[in-house]
Amino acid sequence: MNRFSRIAFLLAAGCLLSAGCGKTPNASYRLNMVEATKQRLTTEQEQQVATVLLAMFGTPDDPVALPEFGLDEAKLRLASGPVRSDIVGRKNGLYREHCAHCHGVTGDGMGPTAAFLNPYPRDYRPGVFKFKSTERADKPTHADLLRILRNGIAGTSMPSFALLSEPQIDALAEYVKYLSIRGETELSLMRAFFELDDDAQGKLPETREFLVDETAGPIAEKWKSAAAAQIPVPDMPADIDLVASIAKGRELFYGDKANCVKCHGVTGLGDGQANDYDDWNKAIVEINKEIQGGLAKAGETSTSGMSSEDAAEHRKQVAWLGKFSHVVDGDALTPRTIPPRNLRLGVYRGGRRPLDLYYRIHAGINGAPMPAAKGTVPPEDIWHIVNYIRSLPYEFDGELGADRPMVARDRF
Amino acid sequence: MTVAKFLAAASRSLTIAFPAVVATCGLAAGVAGAEEWGTIKGRFLYGGEAPTAAELKADKDVEVCGKHKLVNEELSVGADKGVANVVVFVRDKGVKVHPDAAAEAKAAKVVLDNKDCRFSPHVVVVHTGQPLIIKNSDTVGHNSNVNTIKNPPSNSLIPAGGESSIPFANEEAIPAAITCNIHPWMKAWVVVRPNPYAAVSAADGSFEIKNVPAGEVELQLWHEKAGYIGEISVGGKSEKIAKGRRKVKVEAAGTNLGDMVLAPGLFQK
Repeated sequence: MNRFSRIAFLLAAGCLLSAGCGKTPNASYRLNMVEATKQRLTTEQEQQVATVLLAMFGTPDDPVALPEFGLDEAKLRLASGPVRSDIVGRKNGLYREHCAHCHGVTGDGMGPTAAFLNPYPRDYRPGVFKFKSTERADKPTHADLLRILRNGIAGTSMPSFALLSEPQIDALAEYVKYLSIRGETELSLMRAFFELDDDAQGKLPETREFLVDETAGPIAEKWKSAAAAQIPVPDMPADIDLVASIAKGRELFYGDKANCVKCHGVTGLGDGQANDYDDWNKAIVEINKEIQGGLAKAGETSTSGMSSEDAAEHRKQVAWLGKFSHVVDGDALTPRTIPPRNLRLGVYRGGRRPLDLYYRIHAGINGAPMPAAKGTVPPEDIWHIVNYIRSLPYEFDGELGADRPMVARDRF
Repeated sequence: MTVAKFLAAASRSLTIAFPAVVATCGLAAGVAGAEEWGTIKGRFLYGGEAPTAAELKADKDVEVCGKHKLVNEELSVGADKGVANVVVFVRDKGVKVHPDAAAEAKAAKVVLDNKDCRFSPHVVVVHTGQPLIIKNSDTVGHNSNVNTIKNPPSNSLIPAGGESSIPFANEEAIPAAITCNIHPWMKAWVVVRPNPYAAVSAADGSFEIKNVPAGEVELQLWHEKAGYIGEISVGGKSEKIAKGRRKVKVEAAGTNLGDMVLAPGLFQK
């Protein structure tokens, strides 16, 4: 080997070792280890979930979607994989370019920047979304996702992607659905082990009936039927007297029925008595409580008086607690409480249209403590509350009229 | 493996699995064919010194909730060591249902009340198709966040004196928590079963399930703090019951499972 070729060889070897030379390493989906550990899955069971998910959903570089999922694979291809140009010069890999650093390659809301943001980025895997035009338990429509992508979420780190083209935004919305169906299927599979009969020997049935018809299919179906689950909204009466409506809304806001004041406070600043967690954070709070309680108890327990069988059981439990604690440290963000919204800033996360506020009050906010007024507060009263809330940021004192126009200059 | 191959393989194993399913169904039907029914009774006792429930501090709506002595109800052990709120249900899929049991369950109105800033009762059982009525007897407003997995989760405002009806179309593999976000110490559980054969142990630890088909059935035991109960002790003899599943023989004359002692270790989470 002459000197030149030796250098070339060393360079090539160096490239291979560092996996560099312009080639990004293959991205892979992370298994939901918090749920796997919670369900006490064995390594074989974790492996089975990973294998089944790979067969049904492919990889981050090569996503697949079964026809039952109702997803457009062409859109998924545009959004997935490393950032690159395709044969016609169109940019591919949009999710990793724009979303993955916060929402994570897996859509677990655990991208590298997630820990620095408040609120944390959404974890798509439980399939729960807040800002939508559908009932609380339903999925958002495709149009709802497009709206969030275009407008961003005011008051959070979610920016507007209005600079992307329509097909690009459309592809990203499709990919979010894909990641969510995948994540929710994963959760469902992990929970299914517990339900197995003894003769299944701890293995999920790898049948189309179980995997597609019973597990992933119904999850995808909820996405498909979202458009039909839109909340019916009666028009705000065209001849509504705004002053009277705001006054009624105020009564409702402070009243026993709608009870908005309880959490949003007498000031409307969001300083009521609520200090609860949202569902994503609460799940981790409860896990931490279980781990800490278990470890504290284990510290007080002596195995000396136990039978060898019980002592082995005890050691197994302590080992599991240790593992769980380690998994939660690495795979979950530190839980935070969710403050009720300050209604005097004029910043509305789910959109500032009166219609958006109507949806929030009617259906509540899925995953958050905000309950649904549906069934308790009639539609026309919801409109009054909307009008009152919309008056709050402007220090409105209820005396609007021809002789007292609301001139911005006069307000201070 | 490609997806097509994987699913082709999957469909093949489906055809193999199918006769086995038929066989099990046949067996269950054979048991119920006798048309004899019995009652399952039993009692859960705490295998240690009865713990005292910790007091909870009401830091919300203090003027109303502060008047009541609220305690942590995760583990409720009576003076006679009875363990309350242990859930017992018949696990067998497609178990035959006695017409009386079906009619009784259909007529029953299951109510969960927000009363004195706690949920009453602590654990409710419904069967699929039977709505849960959540009402509020307090003078303050509540909300009821129902965290179901197989049914659409809901979170309704329940104003003072108001009520809300929650439907359940599907059974739940594990009991679902119901919480109030306004008063976060409030917690209850709803058990959703596909048949009426489920009970919750009373304050003295006893339970009873009537009109169960005679023969062998598989019970499943659950407790909020212990999860699915992995071990019981009957007559001083310890019995491991994986995932809380225990097969019992139901006699037409009645089956008394006696006192089942639950070791304190089960609740130490």
